Amino acid sequence: MREVLYYAPTELTEATAILADHRDKAAVLAGGTDLLPKLNYYEVKPHALLYIGRLGLSSIHNGSSALTIGATTTTADLATHHLVQQYAPALAQAARLSGSVAIQNAATIGGNIANASPAADLVVALLALDASVRLLSHSGQRDVHLADFFLGPHLTILQPDELITQIHVPLSPGKTEFLKLGRRKGQTLAVVSVAVRLQLDGDLCHDARIVLGSMAPTPLRCRTAEHLLRGQKITTDLIHQAATQAIAESSPITDQRATAWYRKKAGEALVQRALLQALDKKEVRP
Amino acid sequence: MKQQVLTFILNGEEVAVLVTPTETLLDVLRERLQITGPKRGCDDGECGACTVLLDGEPVRSCLTLALTVEGRTVTTVEGLMVKGELDRLQKAFYERGAFQCGFCTPGMLMVAKSLLAKNPNPSRDEIRSYMAGNLCRCGSYEEIIEAIQAVAAGEY
Amino acid sequence: MTQYVGQAMPRYGGIGQVTGTTKYVDDIVLPGMLYAKCLRSPVHKGIVRKLDLSAAEAVPGVVGTLTAADIPGQNLYGFSGDQPVLNNEHLRYKGEPIAAVVAVDEDTCMEALEKVKLEIEEQEPVFDMLEAIKPGAPIVRPGTTHNLLEFFPGVTTRILKLGDVEQGFAEADYVFEDRFVHNVQDHAPIEPHVSVAYWDAADQLVIHTVSQMPYFHLRYLQPIFNLPLSRIRYVGGVIGGAFGAKNDIHADHIAGLAALKFRKPVKYRWTKREDLSYSTKRGAWVFEYKTGIKKDGRITARHIKQWHDTGAYGALSVYAVEKCGMFAAGAYHIPNILVESQIIFTNKPIASSMRGFGVINGQTCVEVHMNKIAEAIGMDPWELRFINAWRDGDQGVTRYTVQGAGGLEAMKKLAELTGVQLPDHLMAMSSRRR
Repeated sequence: MREVLYYAPTELTEATAILADHRDKAAVLAGGTDLLPKLNYYEVKPHALLYIGRLGLSSIHNGSSALTIGATTTTADLATHHLVQQYAPALAQAARLSGSVAIQNAATIGGNIANASPAADLVVALLALDASVRLLSHSGQRDVHLADFFLGPHLTILQPDELITQIHVPLSPGKTEFLKLGRRKGQTLAVVSVAVRLQLDGDLCHDARIVLGSMAPTPLRCRTAEHLLRGQKITTDLIHQAATQAIAESSPITDQRATAWYRKKAGEALVQRALLQALDKKEVRP
Repeated sequence: MKQQVLTFILNGEEVAVLVTPTETLLDVLRERLQITGPKRGCDDGECGACTVLLDGEPVRSCLTLALTVEGRTVTTVEGLMVKGELDRLQKAFYERGAFQCGFCTPGMLMVAKSLLAKNPNPSRDEIRSYMAGNLCRCGSYEEIIEAIQAVAAGEY
Repeated sequence: MTQYVGQAMPRYGGIGQVTGTTKYVDDIVLPGMLYAKCLRSPVHKGIVRKLDLSAAEAVPGVVGTLTAADIPGQNLYGFSGDQPVLNNEHLRYKGEPIAAVVAVDEDTCMEALEKVKLEIEEQEPVFDMLEAIKPGAPIVRPGTTHNLLEFFPGVTTRILKLGDVEQGFAEADYVFEDRFVHNVQDHAPIEPHVSVAYWDAADQLVIHTVSQMPYFHLRYLQPIFNLPLSRIRYVGGVIGGAFGAKNDIHADHIAGLAALKFRKPVKYRWTKREDLSYSTKRGAWVFEYKTGIKKDGRITARHIKQWHDTGAYGALSVYAVEKCGMFAAGAYHIPNILVESQIIFTNKPIASSMRGFGVINGQTCVEVHMNKIAEAIGMDPWELRFINAWRDGDQGVTRYTVQGAGGLEAMKKLAELTGVQLPDHLMAMSSRRR
């Protein structure tokens, strides 16, 4: 039978050296919720498994301008951690609505990003918060804006010898909301998800983020819709216009979960609802 | 494939077992240790029948690579009984018929165990939400919720 | 005895289920047990031109392979008797088993399956049943000229008839028509299909099965193995959900053949993905309903046409369609009924039984149809149903006499439970008299 090597390093330098050796023949394993189905069904056949759960990357810290979240922090921790609830409530909400309890206990933030699913719940929230990722290889490290990270469904700029080690979530001001529509309420992949952030200046919108999940090949920032809101007085009419514009920027597909037609209809309603509900939310202040 | 020794605490006892790197915890429990309480439903993390507690928290054993549990604590349905006595949840599930075919029951019990450990008095909505990842195709959901509520209410 | 009547009893064997000690078939692990996996058709329709298993057999850990040539008896089984166990000729649906690999574990089986040299001449499939009965449609069954199942030799439309519908429509004040389309549905029990087979000390082939109807299945398995029934020990009883899925053999034939050939215990199990994609289904259905009705709400005639998509093989579709025909007109007194049924082969997975099969598809249609009629004639849908509901002595389409009718009483109870106030003249009605 085919040999597979297993590594569970405790040092980052060890981990990046292993990746440098095996490159794309290695599979990086964190929580396993995306990798294991593929292993169980022989869809991937790595020569080596690199388990990164013993690298000490499960932590959430509060810096002066950003939350620093270790790549193997679980979704369950994100959902319940006081710092995330306080400074990134949309991320906590996305974590809470992702998968079942058992999945949340295993699934990691780094894994959700690296898997690059168009439906990735955490990514949708993280994009609304202007998050960036730290990528480490044996030859150095780089920080990349999450908005520049994704290339397509399950395609990213991550190099075969690179590891996601940290996620930086700027302490962005504003009112946020994350909403998700699935085929059922619990343990489900998004038919449409949306994260919004509104930075208000009195009744004027100083800045806005509108991000859609499952509506394009990657989680999508709707920049033209955001621009519609910027500098404007927020009214119900404007919110409707922004929602219509956000959907115009999307390119959903028809798949087993929903038709493209339904995604557009439901997505528009969801964006409207998210913007309206965000207005009623407590403002996050760094 | 080359085998390695995996050591972990299973239902209160240390076990050492030879495993290959691609085996899941479910494979090791069922095929190597004959701990067949956790069921193989989907191998995809969807159904919940393989759910076990890892350091007290529910996880899918089909999505947990066996070697990653080195040194950790695993509890399966076989570990619920204490000194030959059924756990209160087992008693309530049995007496209230909280299953038909019973294939989902070992997973349901483990998630319910974890729920009551965190939240001894959950509301109906909290139960539904916490148990949402475990599927019962026979449709015993009502009886399952009632059994958990009965345990929380001190009836067992 | 008296203390048990009317009391809820704890589930028989339930302690095993809550302690995890109940032995489901996949829980059986025997010393030296081998595993089997099937090579499945990668195409919806095609002809096997080359099947070379030598490279698969050379994989370390592979004990051997199974093909149609290894079957001691007949390579056909199923309720309709038309399914090959292993098909290396004309493939009729994606996922159809072609051969099997038997090895020390499933990883090895999967490695070996990748090494099989399989060449198929792919053919144009047909998926839509109504396309499949048009002239020039691809033919699903080789050697035939059409895609219709024959209920009896030469009979492709099953007709059930009571009275004369043409006369009934002539008597009607209104005639209403509806069309209904039902899609394919999977049972998705949590326990996938699985079987364990071995030779025991008494020289019997023992098979641990998840079968829902073991005596039927024993009858299909015996001619495959070509063993006397006395030498097959078929052990069942513990099933992790079925819902009709396990009314068809999915694993016992393969596990049994492997145990026969290799004289070792063999486990054959499907993955959940195989199960969802390739196992039997509740088939697709198309219905056309036509009903004649008087102004006072009395139904004079009902004409039903049903087309059932049985997929690649017949399985239990005849049973489903005949049962559907018997009840599709609804639990109503209708003097003139005509039901015309056709079963159509397509290149889809096999349609067979699922929960109330043959009954609920027709019942769904008839009740929606009744509501639409009530709306069209401006009558309360309760009243329309009360007027026409079966009374004792009414006749069904196959001329059975209704006895112990209870529809009216059930509807009264339903009204009570849902807080609907029914008028006195409806409350005065009884199933005992018209």
